[in-house]
Amino acid sequence: MIECKNVSKIYLGDSPALENVSFRIEDKEFVSIIGASGAGKSTLIKILHAEERPTSGEIIFDEDDIVEYKKKQIFQHRRDVGVVFQDFKLLPKKNVFENVAFAMEVAGKTDAEIAEDVPKVLEIIGLEGLEDKYPHELSGGEQQRVAIARALINKPKVLIADEPTGNLDPESGWEVLESLLKINKYGTTVVLATHDREAIDRLNKRVIVLKDGKIISDKNNGKYDLDEK
Amino acid sequence: MRLNFPRTLKTGFKNFYRNGWLSVATISIITVTLFIINIQFAVVISDNLLLNDIKDRVSISVYFKPETTEQDVLLAKEDFGKYQEVASVEYISKEKALEDFKIENADNDIMLKSLEEIETNPFNPTLSVKAHEPRDYELIARAVNDSSYSEFIDTVNYDKYSKVINSLGDEIDANKQTGLALGITLAIIAILITFNSVRITMYAHSREIEIMRLVGASNNYIRMPFVWEGIFYGFISAVIAIPLSFVYLKFVAISEASGVALPISNSVYIKQFLENIFLQNAFKIVPAELGIGILLGAMSSIIAMGRYLGKPRK
Repeated sequence: MIECKNVSKIYLGDSPALENVSFRIEDKEFVSIIGASGAGKSTLIKILHAEERPTSGEIIFDEDDIVEYKKKQIFQHRRDVGVVFQDFKLLPKKNVFENVAFAMEVAGKTDAEIAEDVPKVLEIIGLEGLEDKYPHELSGGEQQRVAIARALINKPKVLIADEPTGNLDPESGWEVLESLLKINKYGTTVVLATHDREAIDRLNKRVIVLKDGKIISDKNNGKYDLDEK
Repeated sequence: MRLNFPRTLKTGFKNFYRNGWLSVATISIITVTLFIINIQFAVVISDNLLLNDIKDRVSISVYFKPETTEQDVLLAKEDFGKYQEVASVEYISKEKALEDFKIENADNDIMLKSLEEIETNPFNPTLSVKAHEPRDYELIARAVNDSSYSEFIDTVNYDKYSKVINSLGDEIDANKQTGLALGITLAIIAILITFNSVRITMYAHSREIEIMRLVGASNNYIRMPFVWEGIFYGFISAVIAIPLSFVYLKFVAISEASGVALPISNSVYIKQFLENIFLQNAFKIVPAELGIGILLGAMSSIIAMGRYLGKPRK
Protein backbone atom coordinates (compact mmCIF):
# COMPACT_ATOMS: atom_id res chain seq x y z
CA MET A 1 0.00 0.00 0.00
CA ILE A 2 1.25 3.46 -0.93
CA GLU A 3 -0.36 6.56 0.46
CA CYS A 4 0.62 10.13 -0.38
CA LYS A 5 -0.68 12.70 2.08
CA ASN A 6 -0.61 16.37 1.05
CA VAL A 7 2.67 16.02 -0.78
CA SER A 8 4.18 19.28 -2.10
CA LYS A 9 7.48 19.91 -3.78
CA ILE A 10 8.70 23.43 -4.36
CA TYR A 11 11.99 24.01 -6.17
CA LEU A 12 13.77 27.19 -5.19
CA GLY A 13 12.35 30.21 -6.99
CA ASP A 14 9.85 28.19 -8.98
CA SER A 15 6.12 27.61 -8.86
CA PRO A 16 5.33 24.35 -7.04
CA ALA A 17 6.07 21.16 -8.99
CA LEU A 18 3.60 19.33 -6.77
CA GLU A 19 0.91 20.91 -4.62
CA ASN A 20 -1.00 19.03 -1.93
CA VAL A 21 -1.07 15.78 -3.82
CA SER A 22 -2.93 13.01 -1.97
CA PHE A 23 -3.86 9.53 -3.18
CA ARG A 24 -3.80 5.96 -2.04
CA ILE A 25 -2.70 2.94 -4.07
CA GLU A 26 -3.70 -0.50 -2.77
CA ASP A 27 -1.53 -3.58 -3.09
CA LYS A 28 -1.61 -5.26 -6.51
CA GLU A 29 -3.18 -2.22 -8.16
CA PHE A 30 -2.19 -0.98 -11.63
CA VAL A 31 -2.25 2.83 -11.62
CA SER A 32 -1.30 5.20 -14.41
CA ILE A 33 -0.27 8.79 -13.76
CA ILE A 34 -0.72 11.08 -16.76
CA GLY A 35 -0.22 14.74 -17.42
CA ALA A 36 1.43 17.14 -19.84
CA SER A 37 5.16 17.85 -19.63
CA GLY A 38 5.89 19.75 -16.44
CA ALA A 39 2.70 18.55 -14.75
CA GLY A 40 4.80 16.95 -11.99
CA LYS A 41 4.87 13.27 -13.05
CA SER A 42 8.63 12.91 -12.90
CA THR A 43 8.88 14.73 -9.60
CA LEU A 44 6.27 12.42 -8.11
CA ILE A 45 8.14 9.34 -9.39
CA LYS A 46 11.42 10.63 -7.94
CA ILE A 47 9.79 11.23 -4.59
CA LEU A 48 8.25 7.73 -4.57
CA HIS A 49 11.69 6.27 -5.39
CA ALA A 50 13.34 8.38 -2.63
CA GLU A 51 15.57 10.24 -5.07
CA GLU A 52 14.05 13.48 -3.90
CA ARG A 53 12.53 14.65 -0.66
CA PRO A 54 9.14 16.40 -0.74
CA THR A 55 9.03 19.92 0.67
CA SER A 56 6.09 18.84 2.83
CA GLY A 57 3.71 15.91 3.22
CA GLU A 58 3.98 12.20 3.98
CA ILE A 59 4.55 9.19 1.77
CA ILE A 60 3.54 5.98 3.50
CA PHE A 61 4.80 2.68 2.16
CA ASP A 62 2.96 -0.04 4.09
CA GLU A 63 3.49 1.48 7.54
CA ASP A 64 6.59 3.64 7.14
CA ASP A 65 6.84 7.27 6.11
CA ILE A 66 9.68 7.18 3.58
CA VAL A 67 10.26 10.92 4.04
CA GLU A 68 11.72 10.06 7.44
CA TYR A 69 14.04 7.36 6.07
CA LYS A 70 17.71 7.44 6.94
CA LYS A 71 20.45 6.67 4.41
CA LYS A 72 20.45 2.92 4.96
CA GLN A 73 16.67 2.67 4.71
CA ILE A 74 16.74 4.69 1.49
CA PHE A 75 19.10 2.16 -0.12
CA GLN A 76 16.86 -0.66 1.08
CA HIS A 77 13.74 1.15 -0.17
CA ARG A 78 15.23 1.38 -3.68
CA ARG A 79 15.84 -2.37 -3.63
CA ASP A 80 12.22 -2.90 -2.56
CA VAL A 81 10.83 -0.65 -5.30
CA GLY A 82 11.75 -1.59 -8.85
CA VAL A 83 12.08 1.27 -11.30
CA VAL A 84 12.10 1.49 -15.10
CA PHE A 85 12.97 4.55 -17.20
CA GLN A 86 12.36 5.85 -20.67
CA ASP A 87 16.06 5.49 -21.59
CA PHE A 88 16.34 1.94 -20.16
CA LYS A 89 19.55 2.73 -18.23
CA LEU A 90 21.27 -0.54 -19.09
CA LEU A 91 25.03 -0.99 -18.82
CA PRO A 92 26.36 -1.25 -22.38
CA LYS A 93 29.33 -3.41 -21.47
CA LYS A 94 27.27 -6.02 -19.66
CA ASN A 95 25.14 -8.63 -21.39
CA VAL A 96 21.49 -9.26 -20.59
CA PHE A 97 22.22 -11.76 -17.84
CA GLU A 98 24.83 -9.50 -16.21
CA ASN A 99 22.62 -6.42 -16.40
CA VAL A 100 19.90 -8.21 -14.47
CA ALA A 101 22.36 -9.92 -12.10
CA PHE A 102 23.88 -6.52 -11.29
CA ALA A 103 20.85 -5.51 -9.20
CA MET A 104 21.16 -8.73 -7.20
CA GLU A 105 24.88 -8.21 -6.63
CA VAL A 106 24.19 -4.74 -5.29
CA ALA A 107 21.64 -6.25 -2.91
CA GLY A 108 24.30 -8.68 -1.66
CA LYS A 109 22.78 -11.88 -3.08
CA THR A 110 24.98 -14.95 -3.53
CA ASP A 111 26.16 -16.23 -6.91
CA ALA A 112 23.98 -19.32 -6.41
CA GLU A 113 20.86 -17.19 -5.86
CA ILE A 114 21.76 -15.13 -8.92
CA ALA A 115 22.20 -18.25 -11.08
CA GLU A 116 18.78 -19.46 -9.94
CA ASP A 117 16.70 -16.27 -10.08
CA VAL A 118 17.91 -14.49 -13.21
CA PRO A 119 16.81 -17.16 -15.74
CA LYS A 120 13.39 -17.35 -14.06
CA VAL A 121 12.75 -13.63 -14.37
CA LEU A 122 14.07 -13.55 -17.94
CA GLU A 123 11.57 -16.28 -18.80
CA ILE A 124 8.65 -14.43 -17.22
CA ILE A 125 9.53 -11.32 -19.23
CA GLY A 126 10.04 -13.37 -22.38
CA LEU A 127 13.76 -12.81 -22.82
CA GLU A 128 14.91 -16.42 -22.64
CA GLY A 129 17.65 -17.15 -25.18
CA LEU A 130 18.92 -13.55 -25.13
CA GLU A 131 21.06 -13.94 -21.98
CA ASP A 132 24.37 -13.47 -23.82
CA LYS A 133 23.30 -10.53 -25.99
CA TYR A 134 24.55 -7.03 -25.29
CA PRO A 135 22.11 -4.09 -25.15
CA HIS A 136 23.18 -2.75 -28.58
CA GLU A 137 22.22 -6.10 -30.12
CA LEU A 138 18.63 -5.80 -28.86
CA SER A 139 15.59 -3.87 -30.11
CA GLY A 140 14.29 -1.00 -27.99
CA GLY A 141 11.40 -3.12 -26.71
CA GLU A 142 13.76 -5.91 -25.71
CA GLN A 143 16.06 -3.45 -23.94
CA GLN A 144 13.13 -2.06 -21.98
CA ARG A 145 12.10 -5.56 -20.99
CA VAL A 146 15.65 -6.22 -19.74
CA ALA A 147 15.22 -3.11 -17.59
CA ILE A 148 11.92 -4.49 -16.31
CA ALA A 149 13.59 -7.83 -15.52
CA ARG A 150 16.27 -5.96 -13.58
CA ALA A 151 13.61 -4.00 -11.70
CA LEU A 152 11.81 -7.23 -10.80
CA ILE A 153 14.79 -9.34 -9.85
CA ASN A 154 14.80 -8.34 -6.19
CA LYS A 155 11.08 -9.21 -5.96
CA PRO A 156 9.78 -5.71 -5.28
CA LYS A 157 6.24 -5.18 -4.07
CA VAL A 158 6.01 -2.10 -6.26
CA LEU A 159 7.28 -1.40 -9.77
CA ILE A 160 7.51 2.22 -10.91
CA ALA A 161 7.74 2.84 -14.64
CA ASP A 162 8.59 6.35 -15.81
CA GLU A 163 7.61 6.76 -19.49
CA PRO A 164 8.70 3.19 -20.30
CA THR A 165 7.27 3.38 -23.83
CA GLY A 166 8.52 6.89 -24.61
CA ASN A 167 11.34 5.72 -26.86
CA LEU A 168 9.49 2.82 -28.49
CA ASP A 169 7.34 2.29 -31.54
CA PRO A 170 3.67 1.52 -30.70
CA GLU A 171 4.04 -2.21 -31.14
CA SER A 172 7.15 -2.58 -28.93
CA GLY A 173 5.52 -0.19 -26.49
CA TRP A 174 2.51 -2.41 -26.23
CA GLU A 175 4.76 -5.45 -25.65
CA VAL A 176 6.36 -3.63 -22.74
CA LEU A 177 2.96 -2.74 -21.30
CA GLU A 178 1.88 -6.36 -21.64
CA SER A 179 4.92 -7.33 -19.56
CA LEU A 180 3.83 -4.83 -16.93
CA LEU A 181 0.28 -6.23 -16.96
CA LYS A 182 1.69 -9.72 -16.58
CA ILE A 183 3.79 -8.93 -13.55
CA ASN A 184 0.84 -7.00 -12.09
CA LYS A 185 -1.22 -10.15 -12.47
CA TYR A 186 1.47 -12.04 -10.53
CA GLY A 187 0.95 -9.61 -7.65
CA THR A 188 3.29 -6.64 -8.10
CA THR A 189 1.81 -3.17 -7.72
CA VAL A 190 2.54 -1.13 -10.87
CA VAL A 191 2.74 2.67 -11.02
CA LEU A 192 3.03 3.87 -14.60
CA ALA A 193 3.80 7.47 -15.52
CA THR A 194 3.19 8.13 -19.19
CA HIS A 195 1.68 10.35 -21.84
CA ASP A 196 1.09 7.49 -24.22
CA ARG A 197 -2.59 8.09 -25.10
CA GLU A 198 -3.09 4.83 -26.92
CA ALA A 199 -1.62 2.84 -24.05
CA ILE A 200 -3.86 4.43 -21.45
CA ASP A 201 -7.02 3.95 -23.48
CA ARG A 202 -6.14 0.33 -24.15
CA LEU A 203 -5.13 -0.51 -20.54
CA ASN A 204 -8.47 0.55 -19.13
CA LYS A 205 -7.07 0.81 -15.57
CA ARG A 206 -7.10 3.46 -12.86
CA VAL A 207 -5.77 6.82 -14.09
CA ILE A 208 -4.60 9.78 -12.01
CA VAL A 209 -4.36 13.04 -13.96
CA LEU A 210 -1.86 15.70 -12.88
CA LYS A 211 -2.02 19.30 -14.03
CA ASP A 212 0.31 22.04 -12.80
CA GLY A 213 1.30 19.89 -9.86
CA LYS A 214 -2.24 19.11 -8.73
CA ILE A 215 -4.44 16.06 -9.11
CA ILE A 216 -7.41 17.04 -11.27
CA SER A 217 -8.88 13.60 -11.71
CA ASP A 218 -8.56 10.08 -10.28
CA LYS A 219 -10.80 7.44 -11.89
CA ASN A 220 -10.94 3.70 -12.30
CA ASN A 221 -11.16 2.57 -15.94
CA GLY A 222 -9.89 6.04 -16.87
CA LYS A 223 -9.23 7.31 -20.35
CA TYR A 224 -6.56 9.67 -21.63
CA ASP A 225 -8.01 13.11 -20.97
CA LEU A 226 -5.66 15.72 -19.57
CA ASP A 227 -8.38 18.28 -18.82
CA GLU A 228 -10.98 15.98 -17.37
CA LYS A 229 -12.69 17.31 -14.29
CA MET B 1 26.79 -7.96 2.57
CA ARG B 2 29.94 -9.99 3.17
CA LEU B 3 29.85 -10.68 -0.57
CA ASN B 4 30.61 -7.04 -1.23
CA PHE B 5 34.26 -7.56 -0.40
CA PRO B 6 35.22 -9.90 -3.28
CA ARG B 7 32.80 -8.17 -5.66
CA THR B 8 34.09 -4.67 -5.11
CA LEU B 9 37.68 -5.97 -5.15
CA LYS B 10 37.06 -7.53 -8.55
CA THR B 11 35.47 -4.37 -9.93
CA GLY B 12 38.30 -2.26 -8.51
CA PHE B 13 40.87 -4.48 -10.16
CA LYS B 14 39.04 -4.29 -13.50
CA ASN B 15 38.95 -0.48 -13.29
CA PHE B 16 42.63 -0.53 -12.48
CA TYR B 17 43.81 -2.57 -15.45
CA ARG B 18 41.35 -1.07 -17.92
CA ASN B 19 42.82 2.35 -17.10
CA GLY B 20 46.05 1.29 -18.82
CA TRP B 21 48.39 4.24 -19.19
CA LEU B 22 46.54 6.24 -16.59
CA SER B 23 47.41 3.54 -14.06
CA VAL B 24 51.01 3.48 -15.24
CA ALA B 25 51.32 7.25 -14.88
CA THR B 26 49.74 7.23 -11.44
CA ILE B 27 51.97 4.42 -10.23
CA SER B 28 55.04 6.19 -11.62
CA ILE B 29 54.42 9.36 -9.69
CA ILE B 30 53.70 7.54 -6.43
CA THR B 31 56.78 5.39 -6.98
CA VAL B 32 58.97 8.46 -7.48
CA THR B 33 57.52 10.01 -4.32
CA LEU B 34 58.17 6.93 -2.23
CA PHE B 35 61.63 6.55 -3.79
CA ILE B 36 62.66 10.07 -2.86
CA ILE B 37 61.22 9.69 0.63
CA ASN B 38 63.21 6.45 1.00
CA ILE B 39 66.47 7.99 -0.16
CA GLN B 40 65.95 10.97 2.09
CA PHE B 41 65.26 8.64 5.00
CA ALA B 42 68.43 6.64 4.27
CA VAL B 43 70.51 9.81 4.00
CA VAL B 44 69.25 11.22 7.29
CA ILE B 45 69.90 7.96 9.09
CA SER B 46 73.36 7.49 7.65
CA ASP B 47 74.13 11.14 8.48
CA ASN B 48 73.33 10.30 12.06
CA LEU B 49 75.56 7.24 11.90
CA LEU B 50 78.34 9.50 10.62
CA LEU B 51 77.76 12.07 13.34
CA ASN B 52 77.76 9.45 16.08
CA ASP B 53 80.90 7.94 14.69
CA ILE B 54 82.67 11.29 14.68
CA LYS B 55 81.40 12.09 18.17
CA ASP B 56 82.84 8.81 19.28
CA ARG B 57 86.27 9.65 17.95
CA VAL B 58 86.41 13.09 19.45
CA SER B 59 87.65 13.89 22.92
CA ILE B 60 89.32 16.67 24.90
CA SER B 61 92.96 16.01 25.43
CA VAL B 62 94.25 17.43 28.71
CA TYR B 63 98.05 17.60 28.52
CA PHE B 64 99.79 17.70 31.90
CA LYS B 65 103.20 19.21 32.48
CA PRO B 66 105.96 16.62 32.15
CA GLU B 67 106.90 16.78 35.82
CA THR B 68 103.37 15.94 37.07
CA THR B 69 103.29 12.72 39.04
CA GLU B 70 101.11 9.86 37.93
CA GLN B 71 99.28 10.08 41.25
CA ASP B 72 98.17 13.65 40.58
CA VAL B 73 97.04 12.78 37.09
CA LEU B 74 95.01 9.86 38.39
CA LEU B 75 93.43 12.09 41.04
CA ALA B 76 92.50 14.54 38.30
CA LYS B 77 91.07 11.67 36.26
CA GLU B 78 88.85 10.66 39.14
CA ASP B 79 87.67 14.23 39.70
CA PHE B 80 86.95 14.97 36.01
CA GLY B 81 85.05 11.72 35.76
CA LYS B 82 82.61 13.06 38.32
CA TYR B 83 81.40 15.87 36.02
CA GLN B 84 77.87 15.24 34.89
CA GLU B 85 78.67 16.10 31.28
CA VAL B 86 81.63 13.71 31.07
CA ALA B 87 81.08 10.30 29.57
CA SER B 88 84.51 8.81 30.14
CA VAL B 89 88.07 9.73 31.03
CA GLU B 90 91.04 7.76 29.80
CA TYR B 91 94.57 8.05 31.20
CA ILE B 92 97.45 7.93 28.73
CA SER B 93 100.84 7.78 30.42
CA LYS B 94 104.01 9.26 28.91
CA GLU B 95 105.20 5.78 28.00
CA LYS B 96 101.91 4.78 26.46
CA ALA B 97 101.85 7.99 24.41
CA LEU B 98 105.36 7.28 23.13
CA GLU B 99 104.45 3.72 22.24
CA ASP B 100 101.27 4.80 20.43
CA PHE B 101 103.26 7.38 18.51
CA LYS B 102 105.83 4.78 17.45
CA ILE B 103 103.16 2.41 16.27
CA GLU B 104 101.32 5.13 14.36
CA ASN B 105 104.52 6.28 12.67
CA ALA B 106 106.12 2.89 12.15
CA ASP B 107 106.51 3.66 8.45
CA ASN B 108 107.83 7.15 8.97
CA ASP B 109 111.61 7.00 9.34
CA ILE B 110 112.16 10.72 9.70
CA MET B 111 109.79 10.87 12.64
CA LEU B 112 111.33 7.89 14.35
CA LYS B 113 114.87 9.21 13.79
CA SER B 114 114.06 12.61 15.18
CA LEU B 115 112.53 10.92 18.18
CA GLU B 116 115.76 8.99 18.73
CA GLU B 117 117.76 12.20 18.53
CA ILE B 118 115.80 13.80 21.35
CA GLU B 119 116.65 10.82 23.55
CA THR B 120 114.12 11.73 26.21
CA ASN B 121 110.36 11.02 26.05
CA PRO B 122 108.87 14.27 24.71
CA PHE B 123 105.27 13.28 25.51
CA ASN B 124 103.24 14.59 28.38
CA PRO B 125 100.94 12.49 30.51
CA THR B 126 97.49 13.01 29.07
CA LEU B 127 93.84 12.55 30.01
CA SER B 128 91.43 11.96 27.17
CA VAL B 129 87.97 13.18 28.18
CA LYS B 130 84.82 12.31 26.27
CA ALA B 131 81.56 14.18 26.67
CA HIS B 132 78.00 12.90 26.25
CA GLU B 133 77.14 15.83 23.99
CA PRO B 134 79.56 17.65 21.69
CA ARG B 135 78.28 21.06 22.76
CA ASP B 136 79.52 20.34 26.32
CA TYR B 137 83.18 20.21 25.33
CA GLU B 138 83.65 23.91 25.77
CA LEU B 139 82.11 23.79 29.25
CA ILE B 140 84.25 20.80 30.23
CA ALA B 141 87.38 22.46 28.91
CA ARG B 142 86.66 25.56 30.95
CA ALA B 143 85.97 23.52 34.09
CA VAL B 144 89.22 21.62 33.62
CA ASN B 145 91.17 24.86 33.24
CA ASP B 146 89.56 26.33 36.35
CA SER B 147 90.04 23.21 38.45
CA SER B 148 92.48 22.81 41.31
CA TYR B 149 94.69 20.87 38.91
CA SER B 150 95.25 23.85 36.66
CA GLU B 151 98.80 24.32 37.94
CA PHE B 152 99.69 20.86 36.55
CA ILE B 153 98.00 21.37 33.22
CA ASP B 154 99.99 22.36 30.20
CA THR B 155 97.30 22.72 27.53
CA VAL B 156 93.71 21.70 26.92
CA ASN B 157 92.85 20.88 23.36
CA TYR B 158 89.26 20.68 22.37
CA ASP B 159 88.02 23.28 19.91
CA LYS B 160 89.66 21.67 16.93
CA TYR B 161 86.76 19.23 16.64
CA SER B 162 83.86 20.65 18.55
CA LYS B 163 83.19 23.39 16.02
CA VAL B 164 83.20 20.87 13.20
CA ILE B 165 80.83 18.64 15.10
CA ASN B 166 78.47 21.46 15.94
CA SER B 167 78.27 22.65 12.38
CA LEU B 168 77.86 19.10 11.15
CA GLY B 169 75.01 18.65 13.61
CA ASP B 170 73.37 21.85 12.38
CA GLU B 171 73.74 20.74 8.80
CA ILE B 172 72.18 17.37 9.51
CA ASP B 173 69.27 19.06 11.26
CA ALA B 174 68.76 21.33 8.28
CA ASN B 175 68.94 18.29 6.04
CA LYS B 176 66.25 16.55 8.07
CA GLN B 177 63.96 19.56 7.74
CA THR B 178 64.51 19.87 4.00
CA GLY B 179 63.89 16.15 3.65
CA LEU B 180 60.69 16.35 5.63
CA ALA B 181 59.41 19.31 3.63
CA LEU B 182 60.30 17.59 0.37
CA GLY B 183 58.62 14.37 1.51
CA ILE B 184 55.42 16.15 2.52
CA THR B 185 55.30 18.15 -0.72
CA LEU B 186 55.76 15.04 -2.83
CA ALA B 187 53.19 13.13 -0.80
CA ILE B 188 50.66 15.90 -1.44
CA ILE B 189 51.44 15.82 -5.16
CA ALA B 190 51.06 12.04 -5.18
CA ILE B 191 47.69 12.31 -3.42
CA LEU B 192 46.51 14.91 -5.96
CA ILE B 193 47.61 12.76 -8.91
CA THR B 194 45.93 9.65 -7.53
CA PHE B 195 42.86 11.73 -6.70
CA ASN B 196 42.78 12.87 -10.31
CA SER B 197 43.13 9.34 -11.69
CA VAL B 198 40.31 8.08 -9.50
CA ARG B 199 38.17 11.06 -10.58
CA ILE B 200 38.75 10.21 -14.23
CA THR B 201 37.75 6.60 -13.60
CA MET B 202 34.71 7.82 -11.70
CA TYR B 203 33.54 10.00 -14.58
CA ALA B 204 34.11 7.14 -16.98
CA HIS B 205 31.84 5.08 -14.74
CA SER B 206 29.31 7.78 -13.95
CA ARG B 207 26.50 5.90 -15.73
CA GLU B 208 27.28 2.77 -13.81
CA ILE B 209 27.30 4.72 -10.57
CA GLU B 210 23.94 6.28 -11.44
CA ILE B 211 22.42 2.86 -12.14
CA MET B 212 23.95 1.43 -8.98
CA ARG B 213 22.18 4.12 -6.99
CA LEU B 214 18.88 3.46 -8.79
CA VAL B 215 18.94 -0.21 -7.93
CA GLY B 216 19.72 0.63 -4.31
CA ALA B 217 23.48 0.29 -3.91
CA SER B 218 24.77 1.83 -0.71
CA ASN B 219 27.38 4.58 -0.86
CA ASN B 220 29.94 2.15 0.50
CA TYR B 221 29.20 -0.38 -2.19
CA ILE B 222 29.68 2.30 -4.84
CA ARG B 223 32.78 3.69 -3.19
CA MET B 224 34.66 0.46 -2.54
CA PRO B 225 35.84 -0.35 -6.10
CA PHE B 226 37.40 3.11 -6.33
CA VAL B 227 39.05 2.75 -2.95
CA TRP B 228 40.46 -0.57 -4.11
CA GLU B 229 41.75 1.09 -7.24
CA GLY B 230 43.60 3.67 -5.12
CA ILE B 231 44.95 0.90 -2.91
CA PHE B 232 46.30 -0.93 -5.97
CA TYR B 233 48.10 2.22 -7.09
CA GLY B 234 49.72 2.71 -3.69
CA PHE B 235 50.53 -0.92 -3.09
CA ILE B 236 52.16 -1.53 -6.46
CA SER B 237 54.12 1.72 -6.17
CA ALA B 238 55.51 0.62 -2.80
CA VAL B 239 56.38 -2.80 -4.21
CA ILE B 240 58.41 -1.06 -6.94
CA ALA B 241 59.89 1.70 -4.78
CA ILE B 242 61.43 -0.53 -2.10
CA PRO B 243 63.77 -2.59 -4.32
CA LEU B 244 64.40 0.46 -6.49
CA SER B 245 65.64 2.46 -3.50
CA PHE B 246 67.69 -0.49 -2.28
CA VAL B 247 69.36 -1.00 -5.63
CA TYR B 248 69.98 2.72 -6.01
CA LEU B 249 71.64 2.98 -2.60
CA LYS B 250 73.60 -0.22 -2.96
CA PHE B 251 74.93 0.17 -6.47
CA VAL B 252 74.58 3.78 -7.50
CA ALA B 253 75.02 5.82 -4.34
CA ILE B 254 77.84 3.68 -3.01
CA SER B 255 79.84 3.21 -6.15
CA GLU B 256 82.70 5.71 -6.03
CA ALA B 257 83.01 5.79 -9.78
CA SER B 258 79.43 6.88 -10.32
CA GLY B 259 80.24 10.36 -9.11
CA VAL B 260 76.90 10.66 -7.37
CA ALA B 261 77.48 12.92 -4.43
CA LEU B 262 74.98 12.55 -1.67
CA PRO B 263 74.96 15.43 0.79
CA ILE B 264 77.38 14.88 3.69
CA SER B 265 77.01 11.14 3.99
CA ASN B 266 79.65 9.08 2.46
CA SER B 267 79.24 5.63 1.10
CA VAL B 268 80.53 3.90 4.22
CA TYR B 269 77.57 5.05 6.25
CA ILE B 270 75.03 4.32 3.54
CA LYS B 271 76.44 0.83 3.44
CA GLN B 272 76.24 0.64 7.21
CA PHE B 273 72.63 1.79 7.02
CA LEU B 274 71.73 -0.85 4.44
CA GLU B 275 73.48 -3.69 6.20
CA ASN B 276 72.93 -2.89 9.85
CA ILE B 277 69.63 -1.05 9.82
CA PHE B 278 67.65 -1.79 6.67
CA LEU B 279 68.31 -5.49 6.29
CA GLN B 280 67.98 -6.14 10.02
CA ASN B 281 64.63 -4.34 10.19
CA ALA B 282 63.31 -5.15 6.73
CA PHE B 283 60.38 -7.07 8.21
CA LYS B 284 59.24 -3.81 9.83
CA ILE B 285 60.29 -1.29 7.17
CA VAL B 286 58.78 -3.12 4.17
CA PRO B 287 55.27 -3.50 5.67
CA ALA B 288 55.44 0.11 6.88
CA GLU B 289 56.22 1.30 3.37
CA LEU B 290 53.46 -0.86 1.86
CA GLY B 291 51.18 0.64 4.48
CA ILE B 292 52.15 4.17 3.51
CA GLY B 293 51.50 3.36 -0.15
CA ILE B 294 48.10 1.84 0.60
CA LEU B 295 47.19 4.76 2.83
CA LEU B 296 48.18 7.32 0.17
CA GLY B 297 46.07 5.52 -2.45
CA ALA B 298 43.04 4.87 -0.27
CA MET B 299 42.98 8.42 1.08
CA SER B 300 43.09 9.92 -2.39
CA SER B 301 40.17 7.75 -3.50
CA ILE B 302 38.07 8.53 -0.46
CA ILE B 303 38.63 12.25 -1.00
CA ALA B 304 37.83 11.87 -4.70
CA MET B 305 34.57 10.02 -3.99
CA GLY B 306 33.52 12.22 -1.10
CA ARG B 307 31.77 15.09 -2.81
CA TYR B 308 30.64 13.00 -5.75
CA LEU B 309 28.48 10.69 -3.69
CA GLY B 310 27.13 13.20 -1.24
CA LYS B 311 23.61 12.77 0.10
CA PRO B 312 21.56 9.82 -1.12
CA ARG B 313 18.43 11.96 -1.54
CA LYS B 314 18.12 15.55 -2.74
